[in-house]
This record gives sequence, C-alpha cells and structure tokens, in this order.
Amino acid sequence: MSTRSLSKGCFVFKPSPKKRKVSRTTAYYFREGSSDLEDSELRFATCQSLQKQVKSETEQIEEELNEQLFDNLVSFLRRSHSAFQEKKTEWTCRTKSREIPTAALVLGVNVTDHDFTFRSLSEVLQNNVTPYIALLEAKDCPGIKNLMQKLLGQLMNCCIDVDSSEEEDYEHVSRSRVRCSMTTLINWYESATKRTDSETPGKKRTSSRHWQSPPVVVIFKDMESFTTKVLQDFVVISSQHIGEFPLVLIFGIATSPMIIHSLLPHSVSSLLCIELFQSLSCKDHLSTIIDKILLTTQFPLKLSEKVLQVLINIFLYHDFSVQNFIKGFQLCIVEHFHSNPLSVLCCQLEEAKRRVNSLSHNQCENVRRLPSFRRYVESQVSEKQIALLTVDSSLKEAVQKLLEDLNVYHENYFPILRCLHVFTSSLPKYPLGKQIRELHCACLENRVWETEEYESSLQLARMLNKSDLVTMLQKCVEILVSSPGREFDEIVEKLKEFLTQFQKLEEAYQERDESISPQKELQKKTNLYHLQKTLLELKESRRSKKLTKFEMLRFEVVDYIDSLVRHYLVPADHKTLHEIVYFNTASVLREHLNAAPRIALHTALNNPYSYLKSEALKSDGGSISNKAPDICIAYKLHLECGRLINLADWLEAFSTVVTAAEGPTADAASSDQVDDVIHARFIRAVSELELLGFIKPSKQKTDHVARLTWGGC
Amino acid sequence: MELRGEGSGGVGRAGKARRGRSREAGGQAARALLGIEREGRARARRRRLTASPQIESSAMNKRKLKESSGTDGECISQVQKMLRERLCHHRAMGKLFGIDQQYKHLLELLKQTTVCGESNSALIIGPRGSGKTALLNRVLKDLREMKQVKENLLEVHLNGLLQTNDKVALKEITRQLHLENVVGDKVFGSFAENLAFLLEALRKGNRTSSCPVLFVLDEFDLFVHHKNQTLLYNLFDISQSAQTPVTVIGLTCRQDILELLEKRVKSRFSHRRIYLMNSFAFKQYIRIFKEQLSLPAEFPDKAFAQKWNSNIQLLTEDKTVQDILQNLFHYSKDLRSLNFLLMLAVSNVTVRHPLITASDLQEASKQYRMDSKANIVHGLSVLEICLIIAMKHLNDVYEGEPFNFQMVYNEFQKFIQRKAHCMYNFEKPVVMKAFEHLLQLELVKPIERPSVRSQREYLLMELLLDNNQIMDALQAYPNCPTDVKQWAASSLSWL
Amino acid sequence: MPILEHPAYPPATLLCLESLVPCRESQVSMLLSIFGERQQLSFPSIFIYGHTSSGKTYVMKTLLNTLQLPHVFVNCVECFTSRLLLEEILIQLQNHSSETRRASPVPCDTFNDFVRLFKQALVSQNLQDQTVYVVLDRAEQLREMEANILPAFLRLQELTDRNVTVILLSEIVWEMFRPNTGCFEPFILYFPDYSIGHLQKILSQNHPPEYSADFYSAYINILLGVFYMVCRDLKELQHLAALNFSKYCEPVVRKEAKERDTRKLWKNIEPHLKKAMQTVYLREISSSQWERLQCEEGELGQIKGLSAHAHVELPYYSKFLLIAAYLASYNPVRTDKRFFLKHHGKIKKTNFMKKHEKTSNHLLGPKPFPLDRLLAILYSIVDNRVAPTANIFSQITSLVTLQLLSVVGNNDQLDGPRYKCTVSLDFIRAIASYECGSTSVKTERTQTANEWR
Repeated sequence: MSTRSLSKGCFVFKPSPKKRKVSRTTAYYFREGSSDLEDSELRFATCQSLQKQVKSETEQIEEELNEQLFDNLVSFLRRSHSAFQEKKTEWTCRTKSREIPTAALVLGVNVTDHDFTFRSLSEVLQNNVTPYIALLEAKDCPGIKNLMQKLLGQLMNCCIDVDSSEEEDYEHVSRSRVRCSMTTLINWYESATKRTDSETPGKKRTSSRHWQSPPVVVIFKDMESFTTKVLQDFVVISSQHIGEFPLVLIFGIATSPMIIHSLLPHSVSSLLCIELFQSLSCKDHLSTIIDKILLTTQFPLKLSEKVLQVLINIFLYHDFSVQNFIKGFQLCIVEHFHSNPLSVLCCQLEEAKRRVNSLSHNQCENVRRLPSFRRYVESQVSEKQIALLTVDSSLKEAVQKLLEDLNVYHENYFPILRCLHVFTSSLPKYPLGKQIRELHCACLENRVWETEEYESSLQLARMLNKSDLVTMLQKCVEILVSSPGREFDEIVEKLKEFLTQFQKLEEAYQERDESISPQKELQKKTNLYHLQKTLLELKESRRSKKLTKFEMLRFEVVDYIDSLVRHYLVPADHKTLHEIVYFNTASVLREHLNAAPRIALHTALNNPYSYLKSEALKSDGGSISNKAPDICIAYKLHLECGRLINLADWLEAFSTVVTAAEGPTADAASSDQVDDVIHARFIRAVSELELLGFIKPSKQKTDHVARLTWGGC
Repeated sequence: MELRGEGSGGVGRAGKARRGRSREAGGQAARALLGIEREGRARARRRRLTASPQIESSAMNKRKLKESSGTDGECISQVQKMLRERLCHHRAMGKLFGIDQQYKHLLELLKQTTVCGESNSALIIGPRGSGKTALLNRVLKDLREMKQVKENLLEVHLNGLLQTNDKVALKEITRQLHLENVVGDKVFGSFAENLAFLLEALRKGNRTSSCPVLFVLDEFDLFVHHKNQTLLYNLFDISQSAQTPVTVIGLTCRQDILELLEKRVKSRFSHRRIYLMNSFAFKQYIRIFKEQLSLPAEFPDKAFAQKWNSNIQLLTEDKTVQDILQNLFHYSKDLRSLNFLLMLAVSNVTVRHPLITASDLQEASKQYRMDSKANIVHGLSVLEICLIIAMKHLNDVYEGEPFNFQMVYNEFQKFIQRKAHCMYNFEKPVVMKAFEHLLQLELVKPIERPSVRSQREYLLMELLLDNNQIMDALQAYPNCPTDVKQWAASSLSWL
Repeated sequence: MPILEHPAYPPATLLCLESLVPCRESQVSMLLSIFGERQQLSFPSIFIYGHTSSGKTYVMKTLLNTLQLPHVFVNCVECFTSRLLLEEILIQLQNHSSETRRASPVPCDTFNDFVRLFKQALVSQNLQDQTVYVVLDRAEQLREMEANILPAFLRLQELTDRNVTVILLSEIVWEMFRPNTGCFEPFILYFPDYSIGHLQKILSQNHPPEYSADFYSAYINILLGVFYMVCRDLKELQHLAALNFSKYCEPVVRKEAKERDTRKLWKNIEPHLKKAMQTVYLREISSSQWERLQCEEGELGQIKGLSAHAHVELPYYSKFLLIAAYLASYNPVRTDKRFFLKHHGKIKKTNFMKKHEKTSNHLLGPKPFPLDRLLAILYSIVDNRVAPTANIFSQITSLVTLQLLSVVGNNDQLDGPRYKCTVSLDFIRAIASYECGSTSVKTERTQTANEWR
C-alpha cells in the first residue's frame, strides 16, 4: 500500500491479521450491513469466489502484457557485461572507458501500478539472469549512507537465501558492524561467485540458470524522487569498480527519460550507458483488461452503462491506474452481492438454475418486485400472470427459463458487438467511437440503431470500397466462428455467401472503376460537412442512375449487419431479470471512488440536517437555527465575512444567534455583554474551525483572523 | 679535455653512487656505465640551462660544479636530511628568532611550576606560523635538560584537532597520565567516572610532594566549542586551587580567544597571555634565511660544510635573492612560507648540482606564487571561456547581481548571432554541459542550496572570478579566437 | 635523453617510469625532488590540483607503484564518512606488506584513535625509517566531513610525529578548501591541462594493432578538430575515438580509399563526428547503441535519443492542472483578471506591464503561487465544471512526486501550500496540443505572446 500519491496526512498501516479471521469478519460485516438476510452466506461465498477469479485473471493478463518488455530487459542484461567478458583483449575494449549499463524503464505516470510490475520483474530476473537483485526506494535513501546500507542488506541477505548452507561466515557479521563500503561489497561478490563456481553438482541447477559471474542488478523504483546527490555519489563510486563488480542499474521512470538528464549532471550521466525501455501505454492496457474481463460471458456479473462510465472516467480523467480500475470493478462486485438479495442467482447458469429451485418465498417476492419482471408479467396472458404472481414453483421455472434467455443473449451480444466494432472502427471520424468500450456503452445506453451516430456510420459504411468490405467480412467470420454462440451458423453462412459474391464481382471487372470513384472523393473530404454533402449527392445520383451490382451487394451487406444489430444488440435493461446480473447503482460507486471532501465538509457545516437527522434543524432555508451545533453557526457566520474577520463582531453575531431562542428577558440580560458560557462556546467553535483549516490567525490586524477558503467548495 | 675530466669524475661518482644505492638494486656494471654517460650529457645540458638568467651566478655555478665534482652522494643526502629536518619538521628544535623575552617568560613560568610547584595557566597567542609550537617545544626541551626538573614533570599534550569532544579528551588525558584504569591503550569507564577519577587523582596531591602536571592544549580555540567547556573549566579550576601543581598552556591563533570563554571559565583563568607577532625587520629576515640554510659546525664533511656556508653567504648578498626575499617578506612574514621556499630550493640540490643558486630560489618563488584560479581558467575549453565572459558581462550590467544559466545562455546567444563564424552554434545541452563543468570546478557557485525540486537552468549563481583574473587568463590563453578576445574586452556598448 | 634522474632510484626504474608518464615528466621530476630519498623528510602535506583527467591520479599511482614507495591510496568519494575513510587508510596500511590476507577492520571513529592506530600500524609494518605517503583522491569531499578532518590531515606529520606525507588530489583550487579560521597551508602543486599537442601525442600512442600509427594519428587529428572546442577531457576523447574509429576505417575496409587519402576519409567521418557530438557526447544515445548503429550501417536518424521521448502521457485533469500551474507561475498575478475573466475592463496597453515585469519570466524562471490561484485558473480553463474531489488534490501531490510541480517553502496545511511549475514551455506546448480544441491552447498562446512582448 503506497501512500505516495495521496495528499499529505497520516496513514494507518494495520498489521495484516490471519486470512481466516479476516474472511470471517468480512462475512460478518457482510451479513450485518445487508438490507435483508436472504441467504447472505451463499452470496458471500459466490462473491468471494468471483473476486478470486477476477484477481487471478487480471494478474495473468498483466503478465502477458509485460512479457515483451521483460524479454527485452533480460536480453539487455545478458548483453551488458558479456560483451566485455568475451573480448577483453580487443583494442576498442581496452581503450574505451567502461560505462555502467543502465536501463531506463519508462512505466507511465500511474505510479500506483508500478509495484506490481517491479515485483514480477524481479521474479523474472531471479529466475533467468541473476540471484543478486536490490530494489531501492527513494524514501529509504535520503543519503548515500542509507542507500549503501540498504543495498548491502538486500544483496547479502539474498545470497544467504540462495544457499544458506555455507553462509555462517556472513551470518555472524551483524548488519551494524559490516562496513558499508564498496570494497566490502566487492569482496562479498567475489566470494559469492567463487562459491557458485565451485558448487556441488546438486547446485548445478542454479549455475545453469545464471551463467558465470552474474551481474548485480540495482533497481531504483522511483527515479524522480531520488535526490541528485545520492544518485551522483552512487554512480561515481560504483563506476570506479565496474571492472570487478558487474553492476547494472535499472531506473524506474514515471514521466520521461529526460528526468535522467535533469537529475544527473552530464559529468555523471557520461558514466552511464543508458538504453531505453518503454512499457505498454496504460490506455492499451486498460482496453485489453476491459476486453478480457468485461466483454466476455465468463463472469456472470455485468456492469451497467453508467457504472462503466464512472470507472472509465476515473481512469481517464484522474489516474491512469489500471489497478484502481480493477479495484473499482471488485468494489462493484462486493456492492452488488451485498445490496442485492437476488444476486445469489448471479453465477454460472447451471448453478443458478439449481439455486432457483432452492429459493425461499421472500426471495420469490423479491423477484416479483423486479420492474423488469413486472413488465414481463404484464406481457403474459392473464392466467399465466396469476400463476407467476402466486405460485412459487411456476415462478421458479419461469425464472430459470428467463435466466437461460439472458445467458443466450449475452453469448450472442458480445460477438455481434465485436463485428459491429470491426465496421465502425474503420470508418472515418469514428461516429460510434474508436474503442470498443465506447461502442459497448452506446449499445448499453439505449437502442443504438435509433441514434443518429449509428445512422451516419451506416451511411459511411455504404460507401466503403470493396477490399475493406471484404476484409471486414472475413474478420467478422473469424470472430463468429471462434465464438461459442449457437445460432451463428447461418449468419456465418450468409457472410460467406457475401464473400463469394464479391469474388464473382472480381471477374466482372467493368463495374470496378465507378464503384471506386465515390469513396475516392470520400477519402479526400473527411470533414463532416463535406461528408454530408457527398452523401446527399450520392443519393441523388443513385436515384438517377441504376445501381451497379457492387453497390447493390454493398447495400445488402450493410442492411444485413443492421438487421443483426437490431436483433442482437438490444440494450440489457430491456431484458427481463437484468437486475440480477447487472450492477447499476453508479451513485454509490461514485461517492466511494471519487469522494469530494470539501463538499462533504461544507454540507456538514452548512446544513447539519443532512448528517444528523434531527427535525429541529430541518427547517432552515438561509436562516441559521440556534439549535445547530456551535461550529455550524460559527461557520455560517464566517461565510458572510470577507478576507479578514473581526473576532469581536463575530462573537457578537454568534451570541445573538445563540440567544435568539430565549425570550426577551434573556437578551435583556445579555444585551450589554456576552455571558461567559457563550463566550467559551464561541472560542471553542472558532478553534475547531481553525483546526479544520478554514481560518488562521493573521498578523496584519489585531484580533482579526484570516479566512482561508472561498465559495464553500 | 674538460669533458673527459668530468667523465672520470663521473666514474668515481657513479661508483660511489652505486655503492650508495646498492641496497635496493645490486648495480650491474652495465647500468653503471649507462648511468655515466647519461650523467655526462645531463651535465652538459644543465650548464646550457643555468647559463640563462644572470651571468655571474651561472659563472659561479660553473666554478662550483668543477670543484664540487669530488663531493659524493652521501654528503649531499646528509645535507638534504639535515635541512629537510630543519625546514619542514614541526617538532624541530630549530633556533628561535626575535622572541627571546617570550622565551624567557614562558621558561620562567614553567620553572615556577616544576620547581616550586606553583599552579598556573597561560595562553600563547599568535598568528599561524609564528612559531608558537616551536617556542613551547624549545622551552620544554631546555626544561627537561635542567637537572632539578628531571623526572619531575608529567606532560599531557592535547590538540583541538584530535580531541574533538571532552569525552575523547578525557580518555586521552588518562591514557597519557597512565592512570590505573588504562589497560594497554584501552581506557575503560564512562565519561563521568573518568572525570571523577581524574579530578580525584589531581586533588589528592599537594603542592609540595606531588609531581607537577603540565597540560598543553594546542588549537586551544577548538576546545572552547566543547559542550559547556567542561574540560577547560575543570583544568582552570584545578590550576586555581592549591592542589597538585598543574599548569595549563594553551596555544591559539585567535586574538579574541578570551571573548570565547564562558564567564565562569574566564574568571578562573589567570590572564597571562604571551603574544607572538613575527615582528622583525627585513634585516632579521635575511639573517633568518641565512641561519636556516647554513650547515652547523658539527657537520661531518667540514670542507663541504664550509663551502656550502660560504655559498649561502654569497646568496644573501645576491641582488636577485634579496628581491625574492623582499617580495616574500611583503607577501607574508611568517617563517613557514620562507621555509617552504627554502625547502623547494634545497630539494633541487643533487650530486650534480650540489649548491643552491639564485635561479633555484627564483624557480621556487615562481612555483610558490602562482594564481591557481588563473591556472584553472587556462585549462578551460573555448566554450567555457565564452560562458565566463558572458557572466562577466552580466556582472557588469547588473552590478554583480546573481544570474542563472538561462541568462548566461541568452548572453552567449547574442554573441553567437553577432559573430557566428568563429565557432559553430552549439545546442543548449552542450552549453549546459560546459556550464556544469564550471560549476564542478567551483568557478561558479550557486547562492542557495541546489534542491532537486528546482530546475537547474534557473538556479541562481555567482561568479567567483574578478575581471582582472579573467582578462589575465585570456591573455595567457592559448590560441583563443580573436573575436572572443574582443568580446571580452568590449564594453557593453556593442551589445 | 632521460629527463628524470634521482640518486635514490636505479635509472632503469626511472626510465620505465618516464615511459609511463608522457607529457608529465616535469611534474614527476618535481615530485621526485620534493620526495627526496626514502628516509628523508618531505612536506607534511602536498595539494595537487588540475583539471579533470590531467593525470593527477594516474601519475601519483604510477609514481608510487613503480618506485615501490610505501603508500596508501584512498578515494574520498568512496569513503563517504570520516569513519570509513580512516578505517580504509588503516586497512590498506596493515595490508601493505602482505597483499593477500585482509586484516579485519579495526573500529576507528575519531581522529584521535586514528592517530594512535596509525602509529601502531607503522610500527607493525616497520615503516618508521621511510616516508609513508597517504594519497587522498577527490579531496574536495573532505570538506563535507567533520570540520577537524581536513586540517588534521594537513598536519598529520606533526600530530603523529612520524615521517608521513599527505597528498591531496582535487580539481578545485586550494582557496575553496581553506577553512575560515585558517589552517596549516600545504605545498601546492599544479598539474596543467594537456595542450592539444599533448592530447594528440597521448591519444595517438595506443593505436589499434591492425592499422599504422600515422593513419591513426591522422584520425585523432580530425577528432580533435571537432571536439577540442567543447571537450578536453582525455578520457572522454579516448572513449569517443574508440567509438568512432570503425566508422573512419570503413572506406579503407571497403577498399574505396587508401590509408593515404585523408581528404576522402575526412569527408566520410566529419559529419559523423558532428552527429556524435550531439548524441553520444551528451549520452543521448548510449555508446553501445551507437556502435550497433555503425556496424549495421543504420541511418543515424532511426534511433531517437532520450530527449526524443520527452512527451508524457497524463490524465485529462492532470494536463489541465499542469497548464494552469504553468500559467500561474509564469504570468504576473495582475494579468489573471485580463486573461481568465470573460468581461474584464479595458486595460491600456501602455502602463499595463510594470517595469520589473518587462524582463521576461522565461529568464528568471517560475514564480511560486498559492493553491487557490491554481484551482481558480483550472476552473476557468476547463470547459465543463470541475468538482474539487479528492482525486484532484491527490493529482496535485502526485504531480509533485513526478517532479512536474514542486512545493515551495514549508507546506503546512493551514495557509495553503505554494507550488512552482518546473516544466519547460515546450513540454506544456506538447501537452496542450494533445488537448485539441480546448481553451487551454488559446490561453497559453495569449500568455506566451505576452511573455515575448
């Protein structure tokens, strides 16, 4: 848990308790909070399993994504020192000054994700290259001394771990006594490598993994936060010994490799031999995640359009952090299973069917309450309605059937979605969005074929040239074939047929030139206005002269796609029982993930009713009730003041508000001077406000305080 | 024929030399021969060299050479050894110059302590190299020689540079006094224990019976900074009270030392101060010079010693030598710099060049007084020079206001746009690299601590060279482009 | 004709020493004469200064090793605390006689202990009769240590009362070392930088075996012609020479040119070297990449230097925050009204800018600004309404950790922290251009226009 990118404040790190205990307590809370206790254990269990599934899935994806990068790194490491080891005698090597091989690893600005990457990186290196790896963080190394200590600590420990059999000579050297100098390190390295050379055949495995004299890799996790002096000293020192101590540096960079030059003076950076490695951009990362996690049928839980929007916005607008995105998704899962009693049915189909049978009566009632189910019922004939509304058994089988439909719907939805994406993503200007996630959102939102973006994209699709069209159709075929859906066979047939027809057209050559011409000019004029114009005049021309074969065929294709869309891409909330599998309370998510502390504070102070629901406070528009807590009153008063607040006036106003309730007798008493109790209350309120950072004592004027915030939020 | 003569001399010399150095390398005949003719040639060359500055000295020099051809390596190394001892050893019991009454005063003081067992305390104050240590050592030496002092004085030598805090100092004291809690050279016990123990040990005695203790505190001013001056307080305190006779002598170069003492400490200090200003006229200076160089009577090889001394005598009358000394004298009076000069000269004395000449001294003084910054500037690349000039102009414009790299770069750009032909236009990083080199050489210094957070092109700097230095360096600068020179020389009008 | 001669050492050794130190004979002979014979005393401390790679370290090492003088050689950068330094010296002293076994390090915290142990070590190694040399390389580091270390080393001879000479090597002139209360002055010796002739000579000395010496020296000549203006660092030059030589040889290898016709070779190499100055010399491209480029005949454009990857991908709001920060730190406060209000009053072009604002901020660097101003500008340049959520604030701090912003002064929460924007105009331009159609670009244009007025 890194608090790096969070704003300043104090952070509590609880020692992680036993797994079992955690799960039980969470289960307990789960039961506590939930609205009604309908088979919460079951829900919790499913929730847990789903969580695990997601976790493992995502981690696997991450590894696949990083694979390429890591391979490059490993090969770089192999290259780095072997070059000198083999051709020592060669002239260039003798004359050339030896630099420290350095990998600048650009990981993107989402610092929170880096830990995972580094962990897996060090694993990979451990397994392939070298046992000697040290991970350094800026907050551990304010000075070169600490850095060396950390380094020695990690390296020597690691060598103890590698083979603890003949390590006594190192154990007895306590950390404090060991001289944290490069010479110590070098001696250690010599002895360590010597040992691995002369090691028993039992250990041959290690020596086969790492070759002779493996390099020592030092990873600087967050380059930006290191101070110049520390890095500078370290580089200078280690460059003295690069001959006998094969060191390799890896700089973890969040922003851009320029930081190296801005951190290190050239006299130092000329000791390094820097090569650049860039990780996958986090946007691509995200789209793969969405593709693999959300746009599949393998997870029973689905996200509604709004929720997905919230998650994506947080990603794009605030932090490029994929981890946070996944966390958000997991939160959705918990929230869904927690709040929705029917979520018990949100699991694989067979399981769900089984569970349907064991539904309690209340659960059945819950089902009946579902709006989508209501609609379904109304659509039925009357006696069927009665059966559904009264007899649980009939309800249950209906539910089973519906669940099945839902499942089928999903199975068809995603492949068709991808097909559509194949088309839209190749159109100029991307009317339906470039990324598939945008298309997905559009489809979820409402009937996509009623939007004018869809219209225009169809128009454009009608002007595609043949080669594109063919390739797209082929793509679609692949997608559909690979997808598990049942009734795709005839669709595939249809598409194949289209393809063959295009083939035929190849022979009939004379149409080609005309067919090319319109979309030629389409290529030229890409801005929308021109587009519309060309569309219109194309219509004209079409009316006037009869269509060519190709054009007719093209129309057929597009219409067919359109029909597919209309059939399969109906938005989910038109489906019955979608509430069971779709999580759609975006507001909860938003307030969890994108909290607004200032606003919260303001509302708390400005309108206390919103938090402590006492009727006494309810009745205030602009006025200040004296029932409100002192701090609220003080706050409201200070909102009316300017940059500097005169304490005396403030106190005056405060006392008038507070004493407003008491009858005329009281204020007659307190007219001339404020009584001590009120004074004390006022002082406390003010100091509380100061503590909250709304005001601070000012030097400019005596008995005035300066106001620090403006316009509430 | 002369050459042959020298050659033969060379043989003899080489032979002796071989004997001399036979311990590290069993000299083979071949190498000896090789040695001979090299020496022969070398001498020829040297004569050519020494013929340069003034005729009479070189003539003298030649005469020396001829007659000195008999002198051998041992004798020379003897001279070297002796003079080096004298010139750059500190415990050296050299002669004292012009501080006789201070000498008497101190001697008197210590005698009081050792003989009559009076406690006491004094400060010897004088600028660096004014011979404080020498004075003290001399006094102690003479003191030890007196018979009534024999084995009747315990000395404790402390140095502010070594005993950086009282804890260490105390351990050191106990170690030097060989008190009971010392085993080998390890000292046991905590600070408080040691202090108590020491004080106890010192309090036990009385002024008649017990052996007096002398504390010498070199770099006294550093002891002042120790935590509330515990050590000084206690020492002075004891020296006040009538117990074991204790004398504290402090050596310092700070005139304001008394202001640094705490009140309670100051009050316990007997305000005895012995001031050393090397206050002597140039005449004495010359005399000192002579004294320092001349060989003592007990020098084994009388003949050589006599020759040497007469040569020294000649030198003192030599005009150039006097000028050199005059310069040095005005530059700084302290004897250390003189010793350095002489040391350099002496180190040139070899078998083949047995006597010091004026030219040696000249070389030495040239070596001794060169402007190091000018040297460094001389080594800079043209680009770096240009940057320095730009800074110079900035200083002229903004009256020495601090500047940053950005400004310097702009200034440089202006110049380049004016006269681009002499050097191609470097892009910013290259210039930055040059600038950083200047920073590394500390010719330019950032005025506030460079934090990571701030961009380095906006870091405020100041130039540590003044215009004269820059201009001189430019004059000396090898093949510097002309218009760079112009630029440096030009007033701001052309900008 | 040998230049070095000294009675104490056999001429053969001196000869080989002379061959080892080209262009440094005068300094070496100077040192020799100062050192005198083994048992003779010498200066208590010698301070040698000179430019980078003017052969200080090298000369000292070779001198002491070839003459087998008892010495200790320590690099002060390596020993970053006084304790490490002192212990290192003692260890080397103990291992002086027998290189094989490493003595266990003796704990030595204070200089007081050091002096004592030093004496003991001298006795145990029986070095009393000859001068021991303690060489401290990169001596400027000593100034960072405790105040007493440097002066104490300078008068080590006096403190230990042994025949020892301390030699300090540094690039920085002695004036920068002298503590304000003064100290014992060392003898100062200057190693002048190599002249171009020297460089030529030294660089030409180790020519590759397969090519003739003068062919190589011609190459060196060209190299110096390009680089001598900016760089005189021998090591750097040697490195560059080694890197680019293969390219120089290409025409000869391909039989297109004789070793003789330097003109052609020059034509071939010159642009290449120019390129090298912009890339390798600045370590924009690492040496290994450079070599790979050469051998695979690649067009040099294809590998982009580090600075080519300057663009940073930022979240939407971070971009705007950064732009706002830039505007805030490069615009005077009084212009905010003019830039960011929809209906600001007419402002006279004349007397609009004050005198001190005339000097462009791009010379003086960014000014600090309070958090509120940043947010205000942010709200005004982002088109849609921004809620001040926790994420916004956390983004500000993460920008700080990314070194794109920097906190100025003490950042206590009560009076809001002040920030500075630490990125260049180009960086901002890049970011802004990525936000196509956003108001930021316009604002930023106006702002820069105002800058360069």
